[in-house]
Amino acid sequence: MLRKVGLAIAALAVGTIGGGTPGARAADPIQFGAILPLTGPGAVVGTQEQRGIQFAIDAINAKGGVQGHKITVLFEDNQAKPDVAVLSFNKLVDLQHVQMIFTGYSGPTLAMAPLATRKKILMVNAGAQADKLGTASPYLVNTLPSTGDEVKVISKYLIEQGKKNAAVLYENDAAGIGGRDDFVDLFPKAGGAILAQEPTQFGQTDYRPALLKLAAAKPDVMYVVITAGMVQLADQLKQMNPSFVTAGSTFMSDPAAIADPNSTGLIHTQVQIDAPPELSAAFKATYGADMDFFARQYYNAAQIILTTLDKVLTEKQAVTGENLRTALFAIRAFHGLIPMEFKTNTATVPISINMMKDGKDVTIKQVTAD
Amino acid sequence: MDFWLSYVTLAAIYVLLGLSTNLLVGIVGIFSVSQAAIFGVGAYIVAHFLMAADPISFLPALAIAAACCIALNVLVTLPSLRVSGDYFVVTSFGIQLLATAVFTNWTGGTGGANGLPGIPPPDLWHRPLEDAWQVMALCLAACVLGCVCFFLVMRAPYGRLLRAIREDELAVAAAGKNVLRAKVSAAALAGAFAGVAGGLYATFLSFIDPSSFDLDSSILLLTMVVVGGARTLVGSILGPFLLLALPQVLTMIDIPTTFAAAMRQLIYGVLLILFMLFRPQGLAGERL
Amino acid sequence: MLWLQLLVNGLVTGCALGVVAISFSLIYATTKLFHVAHAGVYTMSGYVAWSLASRGAPLIVAMVVAIAAATVLGALIQGQLYARLERRRATHLVVLIASLGVLAVIQNVLAALYTPNILQFDLPWAANVVSLGASVRLTWTQILTIAVSLAAFIGVIWFAHFTILGKRIRAVAANPFLAEITRLRPQSVYVIVMAIASAIVALPGVLVPLDLGLQPYGGVTPLLTATIAMIAGGVGSIGGAFLLAVAIAVLQNLSLLLIPGEWSIGITFFIFVIFMLFRPTGLFAAAR
Repeated sequence: MLRKVGLAIAALAVGTIGGGTPGARAADPIQFGAILPLTGPGAVVGTQEQRGIQFAIDAINAKGGVQGHKITVLFEDNQAKPDVAVLSFNKLVDLQHVQMIFTGYSGPTLAMAPLATRKKILMVNAGAQADKLGTASPYLVNTLPSTGDEVKVISKYLIEQGKKNAAVLYENDAAGIGGRDDFVDLFPKAGGAILAQEPTQFGQTDYRPALLKLAAAKPDVMYVVITAGMVQLADQLKQMNPSFVTAGSTFMSDPAAIADPNSTGLIHTQVQIDAPPELSAAFKATYGADMDFFARQYYNAAQIILTTLDKVLTEKQAVTGENLRTALFAIRAFHGLIPMEFKTNTATVPISINMMKDGKDVTIKQVTAD
Repeated sequence: MDFWLSYVTLAAIYVLLGLSTNLLVGIVGIFSVSQAAIFGVGAYIVAHFLMAADPISFLPALAIAAACCIALNVLVTLPSLRVSGDYFVVTSFGIQLLATAVFTNWTGGTGGANGLPGIPPPDLWHRPLEDAWQVMALCLAACVLGCVCFFLVMRAPYGRLLRAIREDELAVAAAGKNVLRAKVSAAALAGAFAGVAGGLYATFLSFIDPSSFDLDSSILLLTMVVVGGARTLVGSILGPFLLLALPQVLTMIDIPTTFAAAMRQLIYGVLLILFMLFRPQGLAGERL
Repeated sequence: MLWLQLLVNGLVTGCALGVVAISFSLIYATTKLFHVAHAGVYTMSGYVAWSLASRGAPLIVAMVVAIAAATVLGALIQGQLYARLERRRATHLVVLIASLGVLAVIQNVLAALYTPNILQFDLPWAANVVSLGASVRLTWTQILTIAVSLAAFIGVIWFAHFTILGKRIRAVAANPFLAEITRLRPQSVYVIVMAIASAIVALPGVLVPLDLGLQPYGGVTPLLTATIAMIAGGVGSIGGAFLLAVAIAVLQNLSLLLIPGEWSIGITFFIFVIFMLFRPTGLFAAAR
């Protein structure tokens, strides 16, 4: 028995010694971290985020790295849980001395935010949209607008279209409740009224009871905040043949849902992030999956970091979280897959309003969030 | 250094939970997959009192949490007294799922799915423990206290009574001992351990949400007890330390990233099966 | 009318749940083992069918192969794992934990092979809608689910009461010790029961994902609800299990008219816990 304990400790020790070194000496590889949900319910999103980052890193390494330094990203699985995220954060920073960490999912990111502030580690979020993320830490930057921004845009559009009475279908977790709270707050301010709300469990794809209950309130529009199961929702909506319009946010833009002919007529805000066709094709060739929203977001975020790293190295500074952060705000405006500017910790990005039509997502209006 | 500190701190908290689970499942034989729910209640209560408009100090909050968890654990294990072991499994699953539903939906009390961020660090008589070392010391102290308590209880005649109940409940009852009172008091003690662990957890992480107290967490607790060793003190210590280290150890092995994480969960599952087949008493336990 | 459509939807999900309940009841009544991994067999059969359907195989072929795969898996688990544990005189707790391990392995293998995304069957006819009267609309998949589930229910009842194998199984379930002595060979009966039950559960295992999509981790909640139906209906009563499953599903749907949706699952488990306190043998318990 003691032998087994000893073995475990030995294994841990090996891991410690095998850790990386801080800073960047000539041609030393530079390590960054990424703490994403790679198993469990968040894995759908997490795996795409991971692929987006890896794709960007592989591309830059193929060109010889950043100023001769190869880049590696150490991926940790947070299982969408805050406590696992905190342990992973401490491990990456203490044992492997990373100075920048990619993060996704609001709960774990909020848990790590105080740590990032204390240890001066730059955290980049390119997937979570909780409103609190904008001010959670000076060291946390978000490359996409919060749900509140998207809700403002769609509310204004819906009122303009004469859809004043709304029902809300939301996922009963942090992302869904956040979106619901924003909509219930901002839609009336734009001139509308909320008639009914119904929650649905994450991963529960039987929306029929909730849809029936919401439809009974006779709304003009149903606002949807769910992060998984869009295809099933679209199919079940079609089955119901409702008299209301269905609207949502970027969460709705699941490629499978867009391709599904039953989704024709769904409108949603879309945080703009496009990938040139050659890039998408190359991504698909490598991973066998479409380069969806999250993959593009994290590819873009990785590029932002690489640009920032380049600046830090050019100015002959040590690669620390503090210097990376200073450089990021000094550069301020980035031209990756989409132009974005960091006036605050959250980038301003154009948001469009799209409608799904016969297997394609068509833009019907452009807006810039401020 | 922080990594080691947080590892030891979390392990100490989980040892307390391991003691709690071992008491109920290993020693008394009440199969419970709802220990994470009690853990959660302890965490939410301490968080609530530390963040209230009129906050109270950490130790009194911990005491309140322990008291509530004692009551709750007794209540929750009551069905086990009426219902045979196998049926109670389902009841226990149900209790855990019900608790998760309450944690997720009772936004007023628990912050709902968003959780409770910004929980202040623990304080001893109004002196806050800001340092990672101090927090670890506090958790280790609580853990050691729990272990001593467990050891003494098991040594005492009461401990022998509990063991006897597991061996042959009917004989014990026939011998005139009060079986019901023994079981209930074991459940109470287990509840106290879990409640204290919850309070320490909340202040250590400064953020809690329902995902830390769900069915998966209960199953992890069960795994810790089974792998570490059922019914013994050493098992309750070994299990948490090993199982918390396991994911970190596994990251050292090179697996293609696309399914590395699923592979790790898979290894957990395989470990459970192998242990049950070849060493059901765990590393340092007695036969389950 | 809202309530009518809710009722009909409840009947559909209830029938599928009912088949899960009777298959689980078969296993539990005979082997007395809490075969949690049944949720894994259920999930796997959906994925097998999807693999074939997405390569162009007609649904009926996909379903037959899925049933075969489930049968093999179920028999394997019993023969290789549970039988071995039985030989080592493992307690039910040990078997339950081993079963949890098997479930974790199955779920994560599926997640690794098929990614954790929710997958959809690509059968256009499945989503076509049929209108019954002014207020009820059903897809062909839903209709198929009801038809197949009812057929399975009738088939199992006929099997249990009117075939020799069925009688042998019931004899072993009633008294394994006596069955051992009278050379009914319980162990091989257990394998047969697991095989049959796994085959049966493959039916909703394919039909439910056909309607609602495939996910690797989604099998536990339906299994738990089915277990509740089994226990509340009375262990050993196939009719009880099926009826209670339908009742629970209908109640969960109709309850939306009165209470907010997030509580419907919580209420189900709460009622169950109360049930266990006051009537643990269930409504239609088989005579003991």
